[in-house]
Amino acid sequence: MKLSSILGLNARNQLYTYRYNTKKGRKICNSKILTERVLKKADIPVLKIYKIFRKPQDVFGFNWDSLSSSFALKPSRGMGGEGIIVVKKRANPETSGWITTQRTVVSIDNLKLHSLDILEGAYSMGNEPDVAFIQEYVGRHKAFRKYAFRGTPDIRIIVFNKVPVIAMLRLPTKESGGRANLHQGAIGVGVDIATGITTKAIWHGKYIKYKPDSERKLNGIKIPYWTSILKIAIEAQIASEMGYSGVDIVLHPEKGPMVLEINAQPGLQIQLCNVTGLRRRLNKIEDLEVRDIEHGVKIAKALFAERFASRVAVEEGIKTVGVWEKVKVVSEKGEKIEVQAKLDTGAWKTSIDKDLAERLNLSGKNNILWTKFYKSGLGKEKRKVINLSFYLAGGKINTTASVANREGLRTPLIIGRRDLVGFLVKPGGI
Amino acid sequence: MRRFFFLVYCFCLILAFPRSSFAQVRSTIAPSPSVSPEAEAVASPVPAPDLTQKTVETLGPLEELLKNQKLGSIWPTNPIKYAIRSSVDSGIPVNMIVLLLLLPIVATVIAATRHLIGLRGFGIFLPAALSVVFVATGPFVGIILFFLIITVSWFVRFALRRLKINLQYLPKAALLLWAVSLGVLGLMFLSPLYKIPGIENISIFPVLILTLLSEDFTRISLGKSLKTAFSLTTETMLLALLSYFVLTMQWVQEYALLNPEKLLIGIGIIDFVLGKYVGLRIMEIWRFKKLIKS
Repeated sequence: MKLSSILGLNARNQLYTYRYNTKKGRKICNSKILTERVLKKADIPVLKIYKIFRKPQDVFGFNWDSLSSSFALKPSRGMGGEGIIVVKKRANPETSGWITTQRTVVSIDNLKLHSLDILEGAYSMGNEPDVAFIQEYVGRHKAFRKYAFRGTPDIRIIVFNKVPVIAMLRLPTKESGGRANLHQGAIGVGVDIATGITTKAIWHGKYIKYKPDSERKLNGIKIPYWTSILKIAIEAQIASEMGYSGVDIVLHPEKGPMVLEINAQPGLQIQLCNVTGLRRRLNKIEDLEVRDIEHGVKIAKALFAERFASRVAVEEGIKTVGVWEKVKVVSEKGEKIEVQAKLDTGAWKTSIDKDLAERLNLSGKNNILWTKFYKSGLGKEKRKVINLSFYLAGGKINTTASVANREGLRTPLIIGRRDLVGFLVKPGGI
Repeated sequence: MRRFFFLVYCFCLILAFPRSSFAQVRSTIAPSPSVSPEAEAVASPVPAPDLTQKTVETLGPLEELLKNQKLGSIWPTNPIKYAIRSSVDSGIPVNMIVLLLLLPIVATVIAATRHLIGLRGFGIFLPAALSVVFVATGPFVGIILFFLIITVSWFVRFALRRLKINLQYLPKAALLLWAVSLGVLGLMFLSPLYKIPGIENISIFPVLILTLLSEDFTRISLGKSLKTAFSLTTETMLLALLSYFVLTMQWVQEYALLNPEKLLIGIGIIDFVLGKYVGLRIMEIWRFKKLIKS
């Protein structure tokens, strides 16, 4: 790969974040409370904020017992996932407090002290006084349950000019303490923009194939709701007034994808786990006129698809079959009889052998639709056309077939291209 | 911003007392065993005591250089040279003028290492201030002081946090200063026992600057990991040492004094070009080497 296709800090700051991000946008992104307000106004799914503490009195005046059994206490201007306490259930007995995702117990006094620390600026950028808030808890979506260690994985998508450019799934590890931050030891997994399937994983700057201490492959994970995740990321970028931003999205087990936060200066490690240079991707879309969200998704899927993406699309929408396939023909009585068939894209209509049709009682009078003259390699001939149902590659096909004398030919059934819609016939076997 | 003004103020104070700070380099560097050969080479040809005492009639080497330079007309190429001469004649020390002329170079060197190489360090003022501290105290004593102050202030903050003692900002800062003063005093009390060379020359301003700098260190070590703080501190130290060598290189000093116009314009242009550079940093090439290979 060329040096010029990689995005470095100099280029990111000078060419993208300085140039395309407004002052207002940066202000929105730097405060998680403001982010929530703006996104909520724009009707973008975002995590709910239950309570905001601006002054120490707020902390003392708050009825902590009124909180539900799961929530997150966060600093508004925190960095790198620092200063966050996430609890997921009440401790036993209830008066002793809550149990965090890291399986420690926190009491109300612990939470109060932590909130005061946040207000003092212990976790904010530049140690300036900060605001603490209590946010909705997001559990792990079942798609990620086996991959993340005691924390909520999130999906980082860098959106530029209404086009999602690059994406990464971040999985918390034992070491990262439930945080999805690569610098704290979370795993970053590259994601194909076209399909939402993971590609390569990176941990501490090194490529890994399996989740640490396990034999679970990290590539090939399919992220659910991929297209709507892309759309939400674009919507969030537009609403935040940032030309270039990293949108973090979590998958709520019930509510689906929701925006967690927006980063004004997303990191560059994302290039490593996608094995691609970001600068080249950004160059491609810098001058594009992107009409709307749908258009942005389309552009991204077309431009940034991994090599395997087209294969995945074929596998999902269209079934690949060979030239010689076993199909099950349904007899008059409804029995399924297995027959060798030739899938012939050179023929338009399906044709069945006379003897076979008779054996299955399909050429009886009430099953004949009409008779018609056909041209074939054998000359012009009059053939009966009957109703025919058969199963090919797991799917039932109801069609019509002409009855012909196929004695001496390799298969008693030939399936024409009219009945092969939705299949890809691959010569040479599959 | 407040911190920035304080730093500038401290710079001015250090520069305004050349006899007690900058000039000491001349007297302390030569005997210091820790200084690398370049620094000695710089310091050795200088007749040390002459420069520090104004009452002695002989001229310092820098003043002599000024005197020996032949100048044409003031405009267009010589206005600053003439200004320097007149201010030196009116009693402003040459050392201070040289240091002021060299500060932009130091800043540029630090900016260049950040944008071309990728060393992070604690911003630009911290390494620059540290290098001036090194010039004032000598690098060996400067590093000892730096680590002493960082350790003390980190320890105090860590202890306060562990014991869950919540103090207001200013009393906490005052407590830090209390501990730092105690530490530096301790170092000075120990100096007759261990004979650390140059320790007797410590003035209050380097100590104050270092205390200020320790705040950044403790903030990062408490907010982030100790590992990050250490790597940042090492990088800051490297940057400061580099800047120190630039500040004390004799030919650089002489060039700055004799060609101030060229120097200032050149540095300004370099700063501008640096600010427009959008290529990869050397350390990023290392970081993304797997991408480049693929």
